[in-house]
Amino acid sequence: MKIGGNNMIKEVNDKNFSEEIANSDSIVVVDFWAPWCGPCKMLTPVMEELAKEMGKEVKFAKVNVDENPMISSKYRIASIPTVMVFSKDTVKETMVGFRPKADLKKIIERNL
Amino acid sequence: MSERYDIAIIGTGPAGLEAAINAKIRNKNIIVFGSKELSAKLVKAPKVNNFLGFYNVTGNELKNHFAAHIASMGINIVNERINNVYAMGDYFALMVNEKMYEAKAIILATGIEYTKPLKGEEKLLGKGVGYCATCDAPLYKGKTVVIVGYNKESEEETNYVSELSSKTYYIPMYRGEYNLNPNVEIINHKPLEIVGEDRVTKVILEQGEITTDGIFMLRDSVSPGQLVPGLEIEEGHIRVDRNMKTNIEGCYAAGDCTGKPYQYIKAAGEGLVASLSAVSYLDSPKGI
Repeated sequence: MKIGGNNMIKEVNDKNFSEEIANSDSIVVVDFWAPWCGPCKMLTPVMEELAKEMGKEVKFAKVNVDENPMISSKYRIASIPTVMVFSKDTVKETMVGFRPKADLKKIIERNL
Repeated sequence: MSERYDIAIIGTGPAGLEAAINAKIRNKNIIVFGSKELSAKLVKAPKVNNFLGFYNVTGNELKNHFAAHIASMGINIVNERINNVYAMGDYFALMVNEKMYEAKAIILATGIEYTKPLKGEEKLLGKGVGYCATCDAPLYKGKTVVIVGYNKESEEETNYVSELSSKTYYIPMYRGEYNLNPNVEIINHKPLEIVGEDRVTKVILEQGEITTDGIFMLRDSVSPGQLVPGLEIEEGHIRVDRNMKTNIEGCYAAGDCTGKPYQYIKAAGEGLVASLSAVSYLDSPKGI
């Protein structure tokens, strides 16, 4: 674990999901992941860099699908990583699987 | 931390080797992934008559010339299969199972030998269709899963899935003895189509169909779009410009994987261009 590494990315769960996402003034990028998933591990540093670069305008969150089955089944997560862009409680974008950093950035930016 | 190479080249046909030679001449630190046989397609060619300077040769003879050429330049081939390449931003991560290589630029010279997707497969990718059963299996806890296996290794993945899912079907696409858990049901009808609107609902077979929550396609070779997530594909080939640049910064492609004509000297020529483009990418100052 990096010390002070990724406090830019908020861990959310079944209980506080709607509070954290629906009540956010900015758009929220949510990374659905699990510890056993290889591509998720690769996406983590990419999301951390994006959070560092875009953290002022965009909120970044992640959901562990193993621990949060309600949210995962509500949004029909069938493959991980899945990254969703939320505006209030509307899903604006869904990206399944690893994506290059530049792609993610472009897709997030078009929702600003 | 592992060494970060300047250029990783995937594939050892004429495109990959020509790229390797030129990157080496330009003094770049390279790693080349492929096989000792270099190219299965080349070795099988009965006669090659349009490769400048080498006439009336068999594919195997041409291969031997290629092998001598790279050996004389001290280029080694790493005999490992890359499962995935991830564009991390300013570098690429190349995965060989649990092992990872890093490179600042990559050249894809993978050839064109891969099976066409099933009807419905691409539409439902990530919506019940998957390519790595061990990766996504936990999402199918207590559900029904169909696995289409193209090789022996698929059996191990199937057994792993069967420990989590409530029902596992296995469709072998090869002949042999199957070493599967007793709760796996073997289906001997080939799949034709994957059906579903926003989720996979069933698989249609030559005879009959199976209602399922998910289906994994475990093929021998993956298409470039699966190899490098985010890579743009156009009519079955990697989209490149005249500099052999793909839509991903620092990622180049050459040879049959970029399109027709499927000819050795065209592949080699593209390998040269891809290599020089990658070199100038590496040498250019990078800013935002």
